[in-house]
Amino acid sequence: MSMRVGKEEVKEGESESEDVNESERLPAPPKPPRQTHPTTTNSHDYDSTSDIDMDIDEPTHSVKRARKSVVTPGELVTSDPQWMRGHGTYIPPSTTSILSTVAGTVLKTNKLLSVTPLRARYTPEIGDLVVGRIVEVQARRWKVDVAAALLAALPLSAINLPGGILRKRTAVDELNIRTFFTEGDLLVAEVQALFQDGSAGLHTRSLKYGKLRNGYFLSVSGTGGSRGRKGGVARSRRQVFTLTTANGGGEVDVILGVNGYIWISKHVNSAQGNKDISITKLEEQVSLGVYSSQNEEIAPATRREIARVTGVIRALVENGVGVDEDMVVRGYEACQEVDLEEEGERSDWLGGEKGRRVVELAMGAMVT
Amino acid sequence: MPLDTSTYALSLLRLDGRRWNELRRIHAQISTQAAADGSAYLEMGNTKVICTVSGPSEGRRGQGQGGEGGKARIEVEVNLAGFAGVERKKRARGDRRIAELQHTLTQAYTSTLLTHLYPHSTILITLHILSLDGSLLAATLNAATLALIDAGIPMSNYLVACTAGSTSFEESDNADPLLDLNGQEEQELPFVTVGILGDGDKVSVLVMESRVQMSRLETMLVVAVDGCKRVREILDGVVREHGRNMVEGAVG
Repeated sequence: MSMRVGKEEVKEGESESEDVNESERLPAPPKPPRQTHPTTTNSHDYDSTSDIDMDIDEPTHSVKRARKSVVTPGELVTSDPQWMRGHGTYIPPSTTSILSTVAGTVLKTNKLLSVTPLRARYTPEIGDLVVGRIVEVQARRWKVDVAAALLAALPLSAINLPGGILRKRTAVDELNIRTFFTEGDLLVAEVQALFQDGSAGLHTRSLKYGKLRNGYFLSVSGTGGSRGRKGGVARSRRQVFTLTTANGGGEVDVILGVNGYIWISKHVNSAQGNKDISITKLEEQVSLGVYSSQNEEIAPATRREIARVTGVIRALVENGVGVDEDMVVRGYEACQEVDLEEEGERSDWLGGEKGRRVVELAMGAMVT
Repeated sequence: MPLDTSTYALSLLRLDGRRWNELRRIHAQISTQAAADGSAYLEMGNTKVICTVSGPSEGRRGQGQGGEGGKARIEVEVNLAGFAGVERKKRARGDRRIAELQHTLTQAYTSTLLTHLYPHSTILITLHILSLDGSLLAATLNAATLALIDAGIPMSNYLVACTAGSTSFEESDNADPLLDLNGQEEQELPFVTVGILGDGDKVSVLVMESRVQMSRLETMLVVAVDGCKRVREILDGVVREHGRNMVEGAVG
């Protein structure tokens, strides 16, 4: 006869709402209480949260227990003063207990306690390979969107000049700054420095880095810089690789930016692609072409395979699988298998059920 | 339409059949929009709110960088859909009520979020009210809290809110407090919106726009704080459920 919130709660979290439900099932007293709650709080209140946590972690209905338990904001992680607090934690004033400030998993590094959020913006770290987009051109630097909290800076002095000339940047270079990168250009770079406010300084002083063309941009941000987070690009040894595709697509380059930006392009076979050039020959190899915005001729078959790789990566992310070289290669192979099985009308769209099958197949290949 | 107070005194049931201390149905989802940094959908009875969070990110040009003292700036945009209320109303751009709501939310989150971790950046909270049936401020606060958690923005604790009213017909002494008012009750009765931080009794938002007898306020506060704690448990359950799914992964 009455709407009960208790009933609804059961759906959300079966185990913990048992006792909540009980208390609400008590006949509602007609007389309201006068001041039943203490008006002040103390730190002991937080201890009760850990008890609740215990109930949640031991569900009777679930066979599979979470490998890592999830903590939520305000939850007591530990009250032991021996731990140091790291990212995602907080010590309330005049206490020694460490509380979580984000929803995520607890990470222990020696005596450092940090909480890794389930999802967050990319936090730059020195040495990260990132894909970015120029959003602003200033006098001596570019501002680059790398999906972080702040725009990254790319100084004019941190790029390779066309022709590989090593010299001081002059006023002429500053005037011609848009001939290198202009607004909207995509580039691959490395994080060289971190500033006080957490923004990144980039550099492209390697033949591996520079302007991007002949390809397709894909963003799987929101999970960028994931340390073992699901469905993002993980930091790994190989973030730039070449896939040999089927169906006459030729070779396709994949650049997995740690920030969750991905670039998939036609592999251009030239001396520039040769990475083990001695430093003395560097200048000869870098031609004016590196800052060209003109795409090359890309065959329809190659375009199709670029789209297929994109679909595979999207399917991986949608199904909560981390994106790395291994998974992309397996996913691509699995996609071909699924395509072979399909009869009649073939769809290249890798969403929904087909995407799930591709990912399952790719994951299966990893287990065996 | 006056609240049928005679029935309440007899059966102690409200217009929608709840007792004095019952919340409306709360349904919440997080990560509803993949493109946003954080998003949430919340229903408190028939009040339905979508919240998206973008940021922390570089602020829009020409507005200066971030907040003062090396802290992130928080911006709130509230959009009340034309079809949200009972009658269709076209609202002016600078509606005072909406502006006040935005200001309250901005103030609340500026003190709750750990903004010093993101200097020079801006956190934009966008709220769309799809359906309006009372407890607007409370619903927007709860939805924004969920979306901010989804965005992974550090906060000292959950900021949860709830309303409480009082059946103050005439000057009688036997006024009962009511928890979580719906739209009809809100129009008739004095009510207070209380937002608390976590499961303690730290009140962080307190808004009251109607007159009420001084002696009744304390009871209303107690009931609202108690309601907030129940809301927190529900929201916490949603976050944990979502977290479990994320950690275990959809496949394998």
